[in-house]
Amino acid sequence: MNLMADILLNVTIAFLVGSVLFGIQRKVMARIQLRPGPPIIQHLLHTMKFFIKETVFPKTAAMPFYVVITVILCAIWVAAVIVGPVTQGPLLLLFAIFAIHKIVEHNAGSSSGSPYGKLSCVRAVFSAAAELPLFAVLIIIFLQTGTMQLSTIVAYQAEHGALIFTLPLAAMMFIALIISKSYYYSPLNITLAKDIVSGFETEHFGMLRGFIMISEAITWYMLLWVFLTVFFGALSPLMYLIGMVILTALIGAVNALTPILNPNHSVMTEITLAFIGIVGSIIMMFYI
Amino acid sequence: MDITTLGGQLLGIIPLGDIVLYVTTFNLFMFAAALVFTVLIAMSKTEKQVEAEFGTLNDREKKVGKDEFKVRRFLSIICGLATAGAMITGDLFNFTLFVTLIGIVNIGIVSAVKEVDVLDSAFQYGIIAMLATLPLFGGAALILAATGTLSMFEIVNIPSTAMMIFGSILLFIGVAGESGVAPFFATKAEMFRTAGSPFLVIIHLSSLLVIVRAIEVILLISKPF
Repeated sequence: MNLMADILLNVTIAFLVGSVLFGIQRKVMARIQLRPGPPIIQHLLHTMKFFIKETVFPKTAAMPFYVVITVILCAIWVAAVIVGPVTQGPLLLLFAIFAIHKIVEHNAGSSSGSPYGKLSCVRAVFSAAAELPLFAVLIIIFLQTGTMQLSTIVAYQAEHGALIFTLPLAAMMFIALIISKSYYYSPLNITLAKDIVSGFETEHFGMLRGFIMISEAITWYMLLWVFLTVFFGALSPLMYLIGMVILTALIGAVNALTPILNPNHSVMTEITLAFIGIVGSIIMMFYI
Repeated sequence: MDITTLGGQLLGIIPLGDIVLYVTTFNLFMFAAALVFTVLIAMSKTEKQVEAEFGTLNDREKKVGKDEFKVRRFLSIICGLATAGAMITGDLFNFTLFVTLIGIVNIGIVSAVKEVDVLDSAFQYGIIAMLATLPLFGGAALILAATGTLSMFEIVNIPSTAMMIFGSILLFIGVAGESGVAPFFATKAEMFRTAGSPFLVIIHLSSLLVIVRAIEVILLISKPF
């Protein structure tokens, strides 16, 4: 297939599937809490709505950063789709994209001048200290497989079996990372916790919010895609979809049943999980 | 193991004597990201922090003064360029120099702010950054002594020894201290409470990008495969 068509197709799939997965997550959470919950396509409807709403800019905002940062957020996750499903490129590049995602969270929060955004920005710095070690799971994958190329990791699993059985603690770390990036009432997502309204998104309206919502959907899809690819190997599109729905429903249940942790507890939980995961995985690799 | 194992496709090399700069997909992406943010910082205004004043109906506004703005913007641009340099360099000594420069200008970016908490945090970070120069340069020196070169393009072809692995561990400790990431992040987080969003973002950006590049550098030196 033509590369450009491949990219467009994959980005569209990532956005649509990611949006619907958010709907499923909210539905699961609502049913656990004995509420009917929003329609499954709610995230999609919200995204469309924001694109036809008036875009207003706070007088206090740092221009043009305040505007451009939403486009950068979208661009880096489109790049992630190109590195992941389209070209099956290096995992280290996905690591870099995730690091830039943290910067974007930081700047989207601070550039508006809102105290809620500012708190989210400071929390982004705190949480980066915990989320990056969780993302270090990719280094463990490298130590096990000897490669950072997604295509070769898939080939390795075809020969040696799925990595989830060899590196279960690394999979646990990655699940913790996915929970921390879960957008609806996650116990670990302190940058979007409801005590600071909508965190770094609070002061972005109209089309800018639309870009952020597109990015959220693609981010969610990509995190699940990376998890399934590096721990289960080559899957058919249907199996990817089933895997993503199961993971989203499980994380929805976790979010519905757990309190939202305060920043210190959240960061310490993530650092503890990262420590157990990294040390445990290395011990398992060399001694089991 | 070669450079493409970690960074993806090798797009080109720039031979400068024994220092060979190389460009992989990974390096190019990080370099471009650092430059894009630097350009945005150079042209961006700062935000105004507005908060409700406790006990009255007034607002409290914090903004960056003109003189402070000029100094901080200059240092932020230097920081952005140093970060871009650290992303693309193929020379270990240049990498350590860029990382040290990032540490120095990060302190400079917030040292013009007249807030006690922010200055305290910058002071503590400065102490950590100064201490971290010892393992940073020590690690690079050990690797030079063990391999006879500082070119990463050459080092990647030399089988790793215990001294190279020890050097790379020291290097990582040095980079973690210089960039103020975990476990040193607690010294740095308060620095972000002040106004001046575009300048603060480069502090965070430089730390995270340098850590990601350091992972590539350390894996290239220690070569677990």
